[in-house]
Amino acid sequence: MDKRRITRWHVFGWIFLVFLLIYAVTPLLWMLITSFKSQFAALQYPPDLYPKNPTTEQYVRLLSPQNDVGRQFLRYLLNSIMVSTVTTILGVAVAVPAAYAFSRFRFPGRKALFFSVLFRNMFPAVVFLMPLFIMMRWMGLVNTYSSLVITYLTFGLPLSIWLLKGFYDNIPVQLEQAARIDGCTRFQAFYLIVMPLSAPGIIATAIYSFITAWNEYVYALTFLNDDQKLTLPVGLQRFFTEYATNWPGLMAASFIMSVPVVAMFLILQKYFVRALTEGAVKA
Amino acid sequence: MAQVEFQEVVKRYGSFEAVKSVSFTVEDGEFVALVGPSGCGKTTTLNLIAGLLDLTGGAIRVGGRQINDLDPKDRDIAMVFQNYALYPNKTVRQNLGFPLRMRKVPKRELEEKVNDAARLLDITHLLDRRPRELSGGQQQRVALGRALVRDPQVFLMDEPLSNLDAKLRVQMRAELKRFHQDLNATVIYVTHDQLEAMTMADKMAVMSGGVLQQYDTPERVFEEPANVFVAGFVGSPAMNLLPARVVENGGAVQAAGEGWELALSPRNAASARRASGDAVILGARHSSLILHEEAAPGCIAAKIYTVEPTGDLTYAHVEVGGKTFVISLDPQRRIRADQPVWIEFDQDRLHLFDAVTEQRLPPG
Amino acid sequence: MSRPHRSEPSSRGLIGQIIDHRWDYLYVLPALGVMMLVIAYPIYYTFYLSFFRTPPSLAMSEKIFNGFDNYATVLGSDSFQQVTWNTIVWTVWSTFFALILGLGAALVLNREFMGRGLLRGLLLIPFVISAVAASYIWRWIYHSDFGVLGAVLFDLGLIDGKLNLLDNIDMVLPSLIVVNVWKEFPFAMIMILAGLQTVPDQLLNAARVDGAGAFHRFWHVTLPHLKGVLIITVLLLFVQNLNHFIIPWIMTGGGPAGASDIWITQIYQIAFGRIRFGIASAYSVILFLVMVVIGYFYVKALTGDEDRQAH
Repeated sequence: MDKRRITRWHVFGWIFLVFLLIYAVTPLLWMLITSFKSQFAALQYPPDLYPKNPTTEQYVRLLSPQNDVGRQFLRYLLNSIMVSTVTTILGVAVAVPAAYAFSRFRFPGRKALFFSVLFRNMFPAVVFLMPLFIMMRWMGLVNTYSSLVITYLTFGLPLSIWLLKGFYDNIPVQLEQAARIDGCTRFQAFYLIVMPLSAPGIIATAIYSFITAWNEYVYALTFLNDDQKLTLPVGLQRFFTEYATNWPGLMAASFIMSVPVVAMFLILQKYFVRALTEGAVKA
Repeated sequence: MAQVEFQEVVKRYGSFEAVKSVSFTVEDGEFVALVGPSGCGKTTTLNLIAGLLDLTGGAIRVGGRQINDLDPKDRDIAMVFQNYALYPNKTVRQNLGFPLRMRKVPKRELEEKVNDAARLLDITHLLDRRPRELSGGQQQRVALGRALVRDPQVFLMDEPLSNLDAKLRVQMRAELKRFHQDLNATVIYVTHDQLEAMTMADKMAVMSGGVLQQYDTPERVFEEPANVFVAGFVGSPAMNLLPARVVENGGAVQAAGEGWELALSPRNAASARRASGDAVILGARHSSLILHEEAAPGCIAAKIYTVEPTGDLTYAHVEVGGKTFVISLDPQRRIRADQPVWIEFDQDRLHLFDAVTEQRLPPG
Repeated sequence: MSRPHRSEPSSRGLIGQIIDHRWDYLYVLPALGVMMLVIAYPIYYTFYLSFFRTPPSLAMSEKIFNGFDNYATVLGSDSFQQVTWNTIVWTVWSTFFALILGLGAALVLNREFMGRGLLRGLLLIPFVISAVAASYIWRWIYHSDFGVLGAVLFDLGLIDGKLNLLDNIDMVLPSLIVVNVWKEFPFAMIMILAGLQTVPDQLLNAARVDGAGAFHRFWHVTLPHLKGVLIITVLLLFVQNLNHFIIPWIMTGGGPAGASDIWITQIYQIAFGRIRFGIASAYSVILFLVMVVIGYFYVKALTGDEDRQAH
C-alpha cells in the first residue's frame, strides 16, 4: 500500500515536471523558430509552428558588418562585451579580498559592514537612479562606460562577497598556517594556497558578475543616449518600432544576446549551484 | 636543532588571558609534551612559537635568538597539524617539496630531499597521489614528511595522532618516538592525551587555565605531582583523591573524614603538619590500595559500587566517604557489587596535598 | 596584521581593537569605497531631493525647497491607489507562484534520475537570459494578431476570436505575472534545491521507519529543515518583484490606462519621462521605507541562523 502511494507521488511529480518543462522551454523554442522565419512568414495567422522555408537571413543581416543594421548590432554587441568584461574583472578583484577579510578576520564593525554590503540588495535600482544620474552628469560621466561599470560593480558586489565568503569559510585556516610556516608570506599563502582552492567560487562569482552586467537595462537606458555607445539590452529596443516591427529579427537578436550567458551558465552551473549551496544556505 | 626558551610568555585576547606568564626551557634535542585539557592554553602556546599568534608579553628564544617579532616563515620551525593541513590541490610530492620550493632550494637538491623523506617514512609509492586519495595514517606520514624535509630547528606537533584510530595511533606513537631518537630533533608536542605524553616525551609541561602547572620528566610528574590538578590529570585511571581533616591525637597523627579515620605513618604525618590548615587531600593511585574482604586494622570500611574486568586487571569502583575510588585487582579475585570491603593504604605511596592551596605537601 | 583565529572575546577598547586590526580594513576598503560612492551618497541625496522642487533642466542650483509638498503630491495623486494595488498584486502573486513552482521543481529534481543535470540546466535558462529578451519573446507570444498563444488556444477551442492580453485592462497584470514567474521560478528552485541538500538522510530514514508516508516525511522532516531557506527565498523574491522594472516597462510601459503600472515604473516615468526628480524622489523614499521594513526581516532571517550557532 505504501508502495502505491509513493508511485502516485512519483507520477504526480513527473506530470508536474513535464508541465514545468513546457512552460520553461517553449517560449525559448518559439524564439528560435521565429528567428528562422522570414519577416513575411512570421506575420501569418495562424502561425506556422515550424518554419516552412527556414532562412538564416536575420542572422546574416545582424552579424554582417556590410549593412547598417549589422554594423549597429555588432557595435552594441562589442559594447556589451566590453562593459561586462571590465565589470567582471574589477568585480572579482574587489570582491575576493573583501570576502576573504570577512571570512578570516575579526575586526570591529565586521558584521555591520558585512550586512551593509548585503543590504545593497534591498534597494530598488530606481532609488539610486536619480542621484547617480545627477552625480554622473556632474562628473561628466554620462554617456561613458565608466558610469555603467561603477554602477554594475555595486550590483554584483554584495552577492559576490556573500558567495565567496562561504567558500573561504570552508577552507581550513590551518592550510594557510601551514603555508606560512613552510615559508610563505601572508600574501603568498593566500595567493598560492587559498586562491587555487577557491577557484570554483571565483569562477561562479565571475559568471554572476558577467551575467548581471550583460543583462542590465535600467542604468544603461538612463546613462547612455549616444547611439554608438548603447549596450545590447538597450540597443535591442532600437530594432523595435511600434508599427513595422521585424519580429524574426528581434528574436534572432534576442537569441544571439542570450547565447553567451546561457552557454556560460550551463557549462559552469555546477560551480554556481555549489557556490549558492555553500554560501546561501549557510548564510 | 636548538634549545627553545620561554620567558614569562603571556597571551591575552581582550581581557581573557589564555596564557599566563609561562616560563620553561626545552633543551636541544628534547621531546617535550605540552599536555592539558582542552582550553588550557597548550595550542595557543604552540601557535605562539610558530608565530601564528602574536605574544602579548614575554619572550620566546630559539637557539638563543629572540623570535617574537619574526614572521612564521623566518622562524625556521616546522609544524604538523591535527588535521594534517595537506594542500588538497597538490600531490604528495608537491606537498613535500613546497617548504623547500618556498626557500628556493635548487631543484636537484629538492628532489633528493623529498625522495629521502619519502623513503624514511615509507611513502615513496604515494608520491604522485593527492591527499584525498590517502588513508588517515598515510596523510599523517605525509604531514610528518613535509615537516622533516626542511631540517628545521624545532618541530611543532599539534595533536598529530588524534585523528587516527586507536590501533594506528599506538603504532604511530612508536614510530614518532623512534624518529625523534634517530634525528635527535627538538620536538614540542601538544596533546590532551596524558598517556601519549607519558609514553613519548622526555619532559611534560602540564597546563591548566593558561598556567604551567608542572614541568618535569614523566616519571617525576607521575610520582610527585606538583598539585591536585596534575595528580588528577596524569595517570589512568586517575589518582583517587579524598579530602580529609588532620587530627593530632597524643603524638599520633590521623586523617579523618565522614565515617572513617586513618593513622598516618611518620612520613605522611610530617607532610600533613606542613599544611596551611588542618584540611588536606589524600591521593592514592589505584595500584597503591589493597582491598580486603574482611575487616583488618588500619583499614577504611567501604562498599563495592561496581566491578570492571579488563582482562589484565580488574578495576573495582569503591564507595569511600562519599567519594568513589578506583582500585586495581588481580583478575582472579571474585568481588561482587554491594559487597562490604576494607581498604588498606600503602602509606609509602600516599600523596598529600594542602586542601587550600592544592599544592603537594612533600613527605618528611 | 590580525590573527586568523576564531571567536576571540572582544572586550578590549574599541579604539584599541580598531588599531590592532587596522590592516584588515585594507581588504575591505575597495569594496567599501565603491559602496559608499554608489550607495550611501545616493540614499542621502534621494532623501534630500524629496524636499525640493526640481527644475526640468535638472540644474540643481535652481531647486526650491518645498517641504512635504512632494509627498502630498504623490500620496494625493489619482493614480496612487491603483498603482499601489497593482504593486501589491504583482509582488504577492509573482512571489507566491515562483515559490510554489520552484519548490515543486526542487522536490522533483532532488530525486536521483537520468538526465537530472540536463533538466535542471534547461529549467534554469529563463533565469539567466536577459529580462529584455524575455519581455520581447513573451510580447511576441502574446501578440494579439500573430501570437502563437492565441492561435493554439483557438485551435484547442478554448477561445473564440483573437486573444487580447496586453491591451486588456483585466488581463494585462496576470499576463505579466506569468512572464515574471517564468523568469524567476528557477531562482526559487535552485535556492530550495540547495536547501534540500541539508536535510539529513538519517532523519528521513528514521521517519520512514516510524511509518511516515511520503507526505508526512515532507511535512514533518523536510519542510522544517527548509524553513530558513524558504524565508530567505521569499524575502529575496519579494524584494526583487517590488523592484522589477524591465518586464512591465518593455511589455506594456504601464498601460493600458495604467493597468500594469507599478511603483517602480511610475517612479521612472515621473523622473525620466516628466523630469520631476523631486516628486520621484519622494516616491522613492516611500518605496525605500517599505524596503527598510522588509530589509529588517531579511537581515533578521539571515542572522538568525548564525546567532543560533553561536550558542
